[in-house]
Amino acid sequence: MNAERPPVPVAVLDACDQEPIHLAGSIQPGGFLLAVDEADGRVVQASENAGDCLGRALSAVLGATPGELFGAETEARVRELSRDARFARGATFVGRWARGGSGDERVFALLGHRHAGRLILEGERLCAGEAAAPVEAHEQIEVLLGQMETPRTVDELLAFAARELRGLTGFDRVLVYRFDADWHGRVVAEDRNDALPSYLDLHFPASDIPRQARELYRLNRLRLIADASYEPVPIRAAPGRAEAPLDLSLATLRSVSPVHREYMRNMGTGASFSISLMRDGELWGLVSCHNAAPRRVPFAVRAACALFTQALSLQLAVREQAEGLAQRMRLQAILTPVVAGLARHERLLEGIDAVREHLLRLVGADGAAVIEDDRVASYGCAPDERRVRELARWLDSRGEEELLATHQLAAEFPEAAGYAAEVSGLLALSISPRRRSRVIWFRREVVETVTWGGDPAKPLAADAAGPARLHPRKSFERWRELLRGRARPWSAAEIETAREFRVAVVDIVLRGAERLAQLSEELSRTNRELENFSYTVSHDLRAPFRHIRGYAELLKSDKGHLLDAEGLQFLEYVLEGSRHAGRLVDNILAFSRMGRAALVFTTVALDELVPEAIRFLKADPGTRRIEWVVGPLPKVEGDQSMLLRVVHNLLENAVKFTGPRELARIEVWAEETPTEHVVHVRDNGVGFDPRYKDKLFGMFQRLHDWEEFSGAGIGLASVRRVVARHGGRVWADGRPDGGATFSFSLPKTPSPSHPLYA
Amino acid sequence: MLKPILLVEDNPRDLDLSLRALARTRLANEVVVTRNGEEAWHYLTRQGVYADRPRGNPAVVLLDLKLPKIDGVELLDLIRKEPELENLPVVMLTASREQTDVARSYALGVNAYVVKPIEFVDFLEAIRDLGVFWAVINEPPPGSVRLKA
Repeated sequence: MNAERPPVPVAVLDACDQEPIHLAGSIQPGGFLLAVDEADGRVVQASENAGDCLGRALSAVLGATPGELFGAETEARVRELSRDARFARGATFVGRWARGGSGDERVFALLGHRHAGRLILEGERLCAGEAAAPVEAHEQIEVLLGQMETPRTVDELLAFAARELRGLTGFDRVLVYRFDADWHGRVVAEDRNDALPSYLDLHFPASDIPRQARELYRLNRLRLIADASYEPVPIRAAPGRAEAPLDLSLATLRSVSPVHREYMRNMGTGASFSISLMRDGELWGLVSCHNAAPRRVPFAVRAACALFTQALSLQLAVREQAEGLAQRMRLQAILTPVVAGLARHERLLEGIDAVREHLLRLVGADGAAVIEDDRVASYGCAPDERRVRELARWLDSRGEEELLATHQLAAEFPEAAGYAAEVSGLLALSISPRRRSRVIWFRREVVETVTWGGDPAKPLAADAAGPARLHPRKSFERWRELLRGRARPWSAAEIETAREFRVAVVDIVLRGAERLAQLSEELSRTNRELENFSYTVSHDLRAPFRHIRGYAELLKSDKGHLLDAEGLQFLEYVLEGSRHAGRLVDNILAFSRMGRAALVFTTVALDELVPEAIRFLKADPGTRRIEWVVGPLPKVEGDQSMLLRVVHNLLENAVKFTGPRELARIEVWAEETPTEHVVHVRDNGVGFDPRYKDKLFGMFQRLHDWEEFSGAGIGLASVRRVVARHGGRVWADGRPDGGATFSFSLPKTPSPSHPLYA
Repeated sequence: MLKPILLVEDNPRDLDLSLRALARTRLANEVVVTRNGEEAWHYLTRQGVYADRPRGNPAVVLLDLKLPKIDGVELLDLIRKEPELENLPVVMLTASREQTDVARSYALGVNAYVVKPIEFVDFLEAIRDLGVFWAVINEPPPGSVRLKA
């Protein structure tokens, strides 16, 4: 049977979660239990069978001291051990004690521990033959620990452990059970005979081992139920003493929940022995030994199993760490060139694009998306741009999160359910909240078939009489379901690599921002210097030229009669030179102002601007006959007066270089690309040698001889400067005597925020 | 009797050229020359060496922007804050077309702003126009309000 996983009923879970199983109030009948008040050293609570076990009346046990019950030697040993830290951690072997008489059933292993203000002594009846073989288990374990190094993989190691633990305990079946993040468990290794069915690979819902049971497994790492059908032995207090229920968390003989015994019976197991597998103080899994018939495990064997399992936990940790480390090394080898590649680019989008071939391998993703300044780039198997933006908004709404990793995206973000097949795993990094830049990796859905040990939707069944008493599942029939909307989980190494990647990228972005800030500061400093320079030029250089010019004029007009023809000629040269120098200075000033004046962006109608520029030129009486051909022109975004200067300079240029033509023809038209408007000015003038076209737009560059065409060589440099400040380009085509076409482009969306244009 | 024109100019060549240009305008107004802002202020407020001059404001002040001691903009500020001089026409003469200077001068209430042209003929024309406009044509009647630029 296949089904989507239905939700586990929460009320049922809670009911089971709330049962105070550590305060069972009874023990299993394999021995007796005494609770000693540490203040007066007397027994205040005892299991009902303590009298029988100890060969005296229960009333005589209650109120007695351990010394009175077990003799001075045992009492001294208890006192000694009670100062030991082991005593507080769990049941510790005190010694053997036998009451008078004969037969094995009168010999007990005495175990002691201290918990919640009580010294708890447990007497466990020895198993048949146990007295002879306590050391054997320890010898066996030494050999096993040596062999533990041999299995190569984690799976082999677990299979080895299951096999050897079955050998140690003699149980019919040993399962190694591993918890996932939600405390659902899976049987990952098994060793068994034919007495019990295989549970290998079965999943069990978290509710099978409720929260407080897991907590007990964490505290008390061994738990034996020697006979699932036992009758609990109640714990009694001394008459007249009001005792709080005894906390049996660490007791060996603690009676388990009736629900659990029923569960065992439903499973067909007569005895169970569990050993906790710990990792960093948390429950990682369980070794669960089952026997069809009741079976006891001697204390020494249990201790050996505990030691073996502890070594197994360490081995597992070491192996997983080694595997993680190896994966980290592999990923690190990818990360290094990725970071180096990113560092060569100013912008994240460009940097990522340059390292695109490594991007997915870095975390083992199927796809990725990069978002920066509202731009999106996708790689591999990624959702479409609209969905990436939707995801980014969702991530934004989650607040400041550097990293988010999920392998069940739709569970966190239901909108993603619609495309779960392509994207179920998501690993998102926030790079810069200010620029809302992110790197997101995606993983495809991996449809997983999970076999449950029984229907996980029905972990517990209510009694026909009503919900007051809970029953565990009755069926352990295999129950298969299809897990949808899940991707392969991100491993710790992958997440760690992503985190390192983020640190590197943030570092690069910050350095980039710093560089930019530095550049912009340098730029504004240069601008200030230029401003000072132009001021100096304007005030200090203009004055002497004005004086030369002024006195030369005065000399000519007032004292001209004193000069001969040659002297007058010289004077003309002085006048001409000073006029030219003065114009140069004025042009330099105009040019530098053009670079510094703030651009005021508005919508500029070029079909109004170009005629305006033509009117200016026509106003010059020197203008010859010119045929103006103006095509349809667009509206552009830019600074009105600056653009007028551009158009004016280009048209003036065309007028100037068509000078020798009887009929000059000057055309202006525009073209459009998806991102730019391009304006062309073509003339039928003298043209230029295309070899020199790069020099056209340089300052004071002239392609023509001095006498041929006047001009300060600054018009086209100004054009280039203004257009560049708008984010556009200028270029020219021409051939000698074949006319010229000058063109400039303006972006449709100018980015005046760029420091170079600011 | 015509009111004089007050010319404030520190550069001797510019001063000479300005005087020659004014001479060519054939204006009958006397031209009073001061060489820095402080001296001009003394003239306008009849202090120091000008303590004994007869009362009355000049027809127009032709004021260079860059001056020793008190510069052109500072002097303009002083003039506009002095009730008796409030309506005195001031023309800023300058070698600079710097926007900050222009903006400051206009903010302080200059009546005209002239960038000294390099071409002498242009300079001549500018001086003549200014002199004629402010000294003859545009002499404000008493109590009239200063023209805002």
